[in-house]
Amino acid sequence: MRNPEASLFSRLLLLVTFVLAAGAATLLTAAWFYARAAADDAYDQLLRGATFQIADGLTVENGHLTVNMPSSAFELLGLAERDRIFYRVIDTEGRTLTGYEDLAPGIETAAITTTPTFLFSRYNDDDVRMAVTSHAISDPSLNGRAIIIIAQTTDAREALASELTTRASLLVVVMSIFALIATALALRYALRPVSQLAELLRVRGSQDLTPLGLAVPRELSPFVASINHFMSRLDERMKLLQRFVGDSAHQMRTPLTALTAQLSLIDEEGLSRDHRHHLTRARDRASELALLTNQLLSHAMVIHRFDSAELVRLDLTDVARGAFRAAIPITIDPDIIVSFEAPEQEVPVMGDSLSLREAMVNVIDNSLRHGVVSRLEVRIARTESAALLEVEDDGPGIGREHWEDVTRRFVTTKSGKGSAGIGFAIASEVAAVLGGELLFREKSDVNRFAVIIKLPLAKE
Amino acid sequence: MDCIGRKLLAALLLIAGSTTGSFGVEGDRVVFPAVQQESDRLQIHAATDVEAIRPLLLDFQQLFPGVSLEYVDYLTNDLFRDAERTCKSDTFFADVVLSSSVDQLVKLANDGCASPHVMPSPSRVPEWANWREEVYGFTFEPAVIIYDSRTVPPEDVPRTHDELADLLRLKPEAYRARIGTYDIQASGIGYLLAYNDSRQAPTSYGRLLESLSRADAITRCCNNEVLAEFQKGNIRIAYNILGSYAYAAHLKNPALRIVLPRDYTLILSRGIMIPKRSTQKRLAGAFIDYLLSPRGQTVARESAFFFTEHAPLPPGVDGPTSVMESGIGRPIRIGPALLAAQDRAQRSRFIADWSSLMRRVPSVTP
Repeated sequence: MRNPEASLFSRLLLLVTFVLAAGAATLLTAAWFYARAAADDAYDQLLRGATFQIADGLTVENGHLTVNMPSSAFELLGLAERDRIFYRVIDTEGRTLTGYEDLAPGIETAAITTTPTFLFSRYNDDDVRMAVTSHAISDPSLNGRAIIIIAQTTDAREALASELTTRASLLVVVMSIFALIATALALRYALRPVSQLAELLRVRGSQDLTPLGLAVPRELSPFVASINHFMSRLDERMKLLQRFVGDSAHQMRTPLTALTAQLSLIDEEGLSRDHRHHLTRARDRASELALLTNQLLSHAMVIHRFDSAELVRLDLTDVARGAFRAAIPITIDPDIIVSFEAPEQEVPVMGDSLSLREAMVNVIDNSLRHGVVSRLEVRIARTESAALLEVEDDGPGIGREHWEDVTRRFVTTKSGKGSAGIGFAIASEVAAVLGGELLFREKSDVNRFAVIIKLPLAKE
Repeated sequence: MDCIGRKLLAALLLIAGSTTGSFGVEGDRVVFPAVQQESDRLQIHAATDVEAIRPLLLDFQQLFPGVSLEYVDYLTNDLFRDAERTCKSDTFFADVVLSSSVDQLVKLANDGCASPHVMPSPSRVPEWANWREEVYGFTFEPAVIIYDSRTVPPEDVPRTHDELADLLRLKPEAYRARIGTYDIQASGIGYLLAYNDSRQAPTSYGRLLESLSRADAITRCCNNEVLAEFQKGNIRIAYNILGSYAYAAHLKNPALRIVLPRDYTLILSRGIMIPKRSTQKRLAGAFIDYLLSPRGQTVARESAFFFTEHAPLPPGVDGPTSVMESGIGRPIRIGPALLAAQDRAQRSRFIADWSSLMRRVPSVTP
């Protein structure tokens, strides 16, 4: 079982269940008391009626008190069908006139009044309900009071009480179940903003550090505000870092250019074979460093542009064509076949042309440097909702297991072969900012390997 | 022989341990040995003629061949007295008690002397003939008027309570000392029937009692003694005789005719109860189940008690074809209302009233 602390829902539900159970227990107890009282009231009426009828049967004949036991009194008591009846009539002298002589009144004789007193008692090992009353005898020849005691076993009233309790219990249980179900639904409804927030955070792009724009209940807004505050601080730090990287790259360019110039001035002829080899490697490293510095700069530029530039409507084909021209060097090996395909109709996207161009250049450049053997195809396509730029080459491609890595900065699959690039990282960031993504198509028997920038089509 | 003598005889017979006994006399102890090897013995103490119930006992033994039955017949009041005494002292009395005086059984059950028996199919018992599953009524016996057709002319035959009272007023001489009924002081069933008469129709009961008194009615302790006087020719009309005994006598003596009163007919259901100290409660329960089973009821209708609730009257009985549906039958409900009949003050007062009326010096008839 999951730890209940782990979920707000189960914590609340557990608490509500406890409260409901306690409430139900209280109600059941109350129901039982009420049922007892109701059953006692109902059957006490029988006892009361019987005492009155027996009192009516009391007469004085020749100076003696006599009682004519009305069978209607017994018929009345007989309405409690299964209950046994005990009774006793005591005359003015305290002698038992009729009935069960050992049936004690259960209360002080002085306390017996003309209105019946009801009490629970025991008679011969049986629980009985007893009615005790007195009847004033006022005859010229006889004065005093007779006492009437009627006791009845409690089967019928217990049966009635338990029936009433059972019905009430059924109601309480059903109500509690309904309440629990309603609570569960209400909790689910009330906690929905939490899961919405979680979902929003989950689907958010990894680069997106903008504030959360979700309307949340008052109770959650401090939480969201904290997240937003944290993200803005993170964003600021990120920007600072990027500016630092951009500045550093810019600063490095001047000495780097000077270094390259100095290297080109070295006279190769005057060098030994070993030294020549070192010089070649120094030149290679210098040009790698230049490329990296350029990429870092372009990355900083891209980030900077998105901070400031407004997105405009562009034709992807135009931007791609520019990037294609910029990326293919004039000195390209003439054996490599390069092609560019685009649909006749416009492929509109919302974006910033410079950043987008930079992203495409990086992808094409990467393909030329690491992929192409003899063929490079750049293709623009549109689907119903997306614009696609495919850069396809006949190289070995990138294995599926590396796709995630290469979009991170300074990761490359070609270790030791120079260029730890950030080209894919730039392309991926640009695509993400524009609401699209960077995709790969696996090399197969049918398809060549391709890198795809997918962007949403601009609305007409 | 009076009732006390009869009791003495019964006691002597019990002491002698007679197993044969002389049938047909109340107070007998009769043993019905088991059909096969005896495995159980059921003691039945009853206020019911052994002759009447014999077919049922024998048929029960067909179902339980290992059971021998010890049947002791009492007068209703004696049975009640003994049962009450043993109940109070918490000693064994019998495995089953069976009495026509159901008010006495109800009183015993009310005092906690009974042990309940839940029937497997309770619907067989009418609702008015079962109290607390402790006292069951197993017969359907109308209280009837019998007359001797040889000495009572057809125009004199009384068909209601009032007609009987009128007959005694109009022809006092013809029936003086020729009317028989119970001595309610000695007979529990006589008291129960008279008490219910007084509740059912107080006015006509009063008139009837007065007429019986004026006609110097002969009172006897029990059904059989009234019937014996009838057979001897001393009585021409008898009132409130149990239909079952009357019909048995009618079968022997066709001159004895039976009338179910048409104004109302009291219906008695003979009661059966298992005392709390019974040692054979399961077997006693089986006996009750048998009595109320279709098989037991059939035997009862054919050869023991002759009347049943859902069958037409037996042939030769003058009365409505369907006693209950016509509304004439007034069953004596087995229930707490009968406690009023068993109230000490009520009983002594009722009997005193009755005695003062019945035993007064015969007055000159108007």
